[in-house]
Amino acid sequence: MTTVRVHGATKSFGRTRALDSVDLEAGLGVTGLLGPNGAGKTTLLRIIATVLAPDRGTVSLLGRDPSRPDDRTRIRERLGYLPQDAGFHRGFTVFEFIDYVAILKQMTDRRARHDEVRRVIALTGLATVSAKRIRALSGGMRRRVGLAQAMLGDPDLLVLDEPTVGLDPEQRLRFREMISQAGEGRTVVLSSHQTEDINALCTRIAVIHQGRARFTGTPTELTARAEGRVWTDTQRSPAALAAWRTGDGAYRNVGEPPAGAELIPPTLEDAYLLLMGEPELEATRS
Amino acid sequence: MTVWHLDPEAIRRYSRGVAPPGLAASAEAHLMKCAACRGAISSYVDLRRVEAIWHEVADRVDAPRRGRPERLLVRLGVGEATARLVAATPTLRGPWLLAVAVVLALAAWAAQVDERFLRMFLVLAPLGPLAGVLVAFAGGLDPTREIGLAAPYSGLRLLLIRTAAVMAVTVPIVAAAGLALPGSSWPAVAWLLPTAGLTCAALALTARMAPVVAVGVVATAWVLVTAPTAIAGRLDPVFDGGAQIVWLAVAVGAGTWLAATRNTVTLKLGRSA
Repeated sequence: MTTVRVHGATKSFGRTRALDSVDLEAGLGVTGLLGPNGAGKTTLLRIIATVLAPDRGTVSLLGRDPSRPDDRTRIRERLGYLPQDAGFHRGFTVFEFIDYVAILKQMTDRRARHDEVRRVIALTGLATVSAKRIRALSGGMRRRVGLAQAMLGDPDLLVLDEPTVGLDPEQRLRFREMISQAGEGRTVVLSSHQTEDINALCTRIAVIHQGRARFTGTPTELTARAEGRVWTDTQRSPAALAAWRTGDGAYRNVGEPPAGAELIPPTLEDAYLLLMGEPELEATRS
Repeated sequence: MTVWHLDPEAIRRYSRGVAPPGLAASAEAHLMKCAACRGAISSYVDLRRVEAIWHEVADRVDAPRRGRPERLLVRLGVGEATARLVAATPTLRGPWLLAVAVVLALAAWAAQVDERFLRMFLVLAPLGPLAGVLVAFAGGLDPTREIGLAAPYSGLRLLLIRTAAVMAVTVPIVAAAGLALPGSSWPAVAWLLPTAGLTCAALALTARMAPVVAVGVVATAWVLVTAPTAIAGRLDPVFDGGAQIVWLAVAVGAGTWLAATRNTVTLKLGRSA
């Protein structure tokens, strides 16, 4: 079932075109937006979170049209959103802050609301710090607070902008686990510029670059596009779009391999690099 | 050792919560010591009632203590959810309130030194509360703005709650500065209705533009109209009796329009949908 449908979404800020006729569909499970900084991922996620309206194009979320005020309110009742720069009222405790967001989510009954706050606090492993002020928490714990508020009300659509940014490896793994669980039975759309996160979590991905969707499909399909275009050598190959020395001393080259090159299985990162580098390759060839 | 037991009637009345206080206290003390009576009462207890009571106890014990401003608001009769929303208003932070107080104190002090500055106080006075409303919705100052935008809570209701909170705090600051003015008491209160009119006009404009822009437009118009007349020494057209009636009419008109359109207006919180 498709819960997110974006068709031809275009959005400009002044003279800068952040999104240029982007199409995206997402259903149950985790869908990832992959792309470099400034690619337009955040703008697209803000549109899906009903925070922004596209200048052109159509959007359907959970079967409703967010351009209609009534529909937008109904969507927001079933939506959880973690912005990229999620801010907090630093004087609030964890409990108070999540309770504040619960009020904004129109949970009016105090006891039921507090139960829900306690549920998401337990879900995100914040129980031991629920009475602590947010300003006293580490960056990773604050990110958990952000995820906890997004999980309030058990939303059908969860929009997470760079949920793992700034986390150490252990915290990232914990976050992956939480997001993976969140993706069971609901639609999660997240953005990242970390291919490992996308590969580990997402059933579908869209690669966004310069405001356009350069690829839409599964991680396996994207990886397959790099088949026969990754090879090892004892030196950096001039034909490589990107090359780096690996732990065993050999060079991993990505690009158009020379004849007789020792091909190796590609990764999602290789395919992503190729996709990002293709315009440059084409420019070099012409 | 306990040698007596609660009779069935006492158990029935206590378990239903209809026992008189004396009997209830006696039954409670006895039940603490008597396993037989505890066993007897268990079949009478309404489990839903017990669950509700226990839930309430757990919630009261578990929920963190509210901050001082929230406790004060709740004591004044404000709902606990509204008190939390008010506590999160960016303007109600010490530095902003201090800035407003300092500017107005300086204006009042200048007016005492030279009466020509009295007119500048009247120009500045409505800008304090207006600046407070602007700060309450300035994107960079509200850390949870994006989260709030994606939530179903009515933007107009949030706007009104925050505006009321800002007014409740900034108007007394301006009034206190006004009391320090030299001469007659008229300048100390002459700014009140213009402030109400300007604020209501800004709120009404939020149907067409973002609150920050609406407040900016109104404040700019106010300064453009009053600053030249203040410099020329003629502020009467803006503050005299006739003008006060006009400001009252503006406030009532804008407020009425806002109330009439509350269900159809979509608040534009910055770059919102």
